Amino acid sequence: MTSTSLATPENRTASPATMQALATLNDRLAAKPAAHLRVEKLSIAYSTARGPFHAVDDVSFEVKPGTNLGLVGESGCGKSTVIKALIGLQPEGTKVSGQALLDGQEILGLSERALQDVRWTKISLITQSAMNSLDPVYCIGDQICEAIQAHESVSRATAWARAEEMFALVGLPASRLHDFPHQFSGGMRQRTVIAMALALNAGMLLADEPTTALDPIMQSQIMSRIRGIHEHMRRSMILVTHDIAVVAETCENTVVMYAGKVAEKGPTTDVLARPLHPYTMGLQNAFPRLPVKGQPRQALISIPGIVPNLLRPPPGCRFAGRCPFATERCHIEAPAVTAVGAQSAACHYIDRAPEFREAAARPETWRKLGAGA
Amino acid sequence: MSDLHTSRPAIDPDARPIVEARDLKTHFQGRSGIFSALAGVKPPTAKALDGVDLRIRKSEIVGLVGESGCGKSTLGMSLVRMYQPTDGRILYLDDDITRAEGRRLKDYRRQAQIIFQDPYSSLNPRLTIGQVIEEPLVIHDIGNAAERRERVVRALDLVRIPAVDNIDRYPSDLSGGQRQRVAIARALVLEPTFIVADEPVSMLDVSIQASVLELLDELSRKLGLAILYISHDIATVGYICDHVAVMYLGRIVEEGKAEDILSAPLHPYTQRLMAAIPRMDPGDTAGRAEIRGDVPSPMNVPQGCRFSSRCPYVADLCRAVEPELGQHPAGQRVRCHIYGSEGAKRFPDLQRPEWGRITEVTDAGTLAQASS
Repeated sequence: MTSTSLATPENRTASPATMQALATLNDRLAAKPAAHLRVEKLSIAYSTARGPFHAVDDVSFEVKPGTNLGLVGESGCGKSTVIKALIGLQPEGTKVSGQALLDGQEILGLSERALQDVRWTKISLITQSAMNSLDPVYCIGDQICEAIQAHESVSRATAWARAEEMFALVGLPASRLHDFPHQFSGGMRQRTVIAMALALNAGMLLADEPTTALDPIMQSQIMSRIRGIHEHMRRSMILVTHDIAVVAETCENTVVMYAGKVAEKGPTTDVLARPLHPYTMGLQNAFPRLPVKGQPRQALISIPGIVPNLLRPPPGCRFAGRCPFATERCHIEAPAVTAVGAQSAACHYIDRAPEFREAAARPETWRKLGAGA
Repeated sequence: MSDLHTSRPAIDPDARPIVEARDLKTHFQGRSGIFSALAGVKPPTAKALDGVDLRIRKSEIVGLVGESGCGKSTLGMSLVRMYQPTDGRILYLDDDITRAEGRRLKDYRRQAQIIFQDPYSSLNPRLTIGQVIEEPLVIHDIGNAAERRERVVRALDLVRIPAVDNIDRYPSDLSGGQRQRVAIARALVLEPTFIVADEPVSMLDVSIQASVLELLDELSRKLGLAILYISHDIATVGYICDHVAVMYLGRIVEEGKAEDILSAPLHPYTQRLMAAIPRMDPGDTAGRAEIRGDVPSPMNVPQGCRFSSRCPYVADLCRAVEPELGQHPAGQRVRCHIYGSEGAKRFPDLQRPEWGRITEVTDAGTLAQASS
């Protein structure tokens, strides 16, 4: 992986001492184990002029070391809010309760000083808008070096050499470390953000919609990089996306969120093959698929209605207003989480899931409800 | 309401097109700085659209796909005359409107409407839904206040937004899907014959995309609208389009019936574009052919085939001669030397591309040694 580019001034002066320092740094970073994260009863309420907005309500999940967890749901379901709370980026005045244990250490409500020790070294973030997460007035290499030198006492030359390695890992030429963000295309910027997130080999990666603004070819390039890194470096990762197919390809486990709550979670294969919650069924059937020659096309459904206003969350099941199978009970009583094997869902009628799955594949099922909404 | 999985009625291929582009070119002139101007350096030209032929008939939905920066939106905006084409012709019902101005241009714009990607910024937040939809009628000086209101209500009916509840509300009161419907109603209120829908669902949640696609499908059948549906999401194209054209760097590289293109693409670019779409079946990433690098700049179009800098099958012929869009026996038209082309016969001594002979194409788009 050592770069052979001699174009950079750092490399021309890269002394054997620097290479030795880099090897030591690499060994130290590579020794970091993949992180284990357990989130218990996480609730987050933003404070607004009209009272608390319960963006996340009683969410629990676990990321085992070296696995990927997919967090899916529509816009406004609280996915990004969970991520922001985990890395301590929630706006001031936000009420966060519950626990998030990263390798046994509580990471919610840490002081600024304590957060500095956690961010980048133990948990790092791949943001959605790569355009806004890079400083336009510093060259890319300086920004990566800054992050490395803030946490590891190494020389700038060593940090630069590490940055070159990270660039090679995401498939960018080392010479472009001298460029500024505006000289990069959207896909290159996104890869830069991934390189930064990997620079200190954090045990836990949080990827918040890393490919949402990109076209399918760029998305495929970025996701295959992320998958490759996951395979080679065995990091743990939470991948936030609204694209179920990206989760299907990348994540061992899936959490489906709806209106701040976990609707369903479990191994991705189970959740997609046998969804238990009507919301998961709806999301899955709304996803456009490529046709297969000779086979009839599957119908595309749309889920009528919108996510409820979480300033005043409805008393019963939060999906009841849009669910084609909702009964009176669903509107009054909030469903408990029921487990079926490794999979679990918050629905009163979990035992009727096979029957619902069949009905949910038909557009009429969802349309009947849509007529009134 | 129609179901998206039922097949659309066949379009008569000999029917007169509503809108037709013939060798349409839209180039953008870069600005030169004072020093380069003094030195006599010509500013660069971005050839965003560089020779496109396309026809859209009554009740037909034509899908236009390709990566960001391939010229899809430039084609859409040129067709409705938001951009002035540099060369070539646009025919509206056989009437050449490429350089129409004044009254004639205004008349054409009444017939040709466009829907944009972002329903959050395409609606004026200070106007009510009724005023947003009424505005085109005012601009074209159609009817009195009562007649206009009636037309607005009819347009809202068409997009299935209850007029009584919504006509006096503001865009901020509506969800993304509803806003996009309002944008469609605004395009419909002039009773156009041709609509360009530029990524109409890519900003919407997947849960409501289907309802907007369904609406476009229904409108094309009910009102006989000719629709150009622009999207980088190839999977959605399969649900509503009769005909699909794939663009790369300002030109069409493959076109044909939607089902042919989507289930058996021929051009190496289309094949990779399709392979890039994530699949729902877990673990099904095997055999994915990754396309590397970025689209070359339209200011610096490669010699020969435009895809040659990224194509795994590239051979000497591709780098020297641009292939023409040729008819393939499978049904679609494809611009690739692999399928043989007339123009290439003049260069018998150049090495030809063939399936299976994969050459290594580097990330930067430059060509490395052919490995075999």
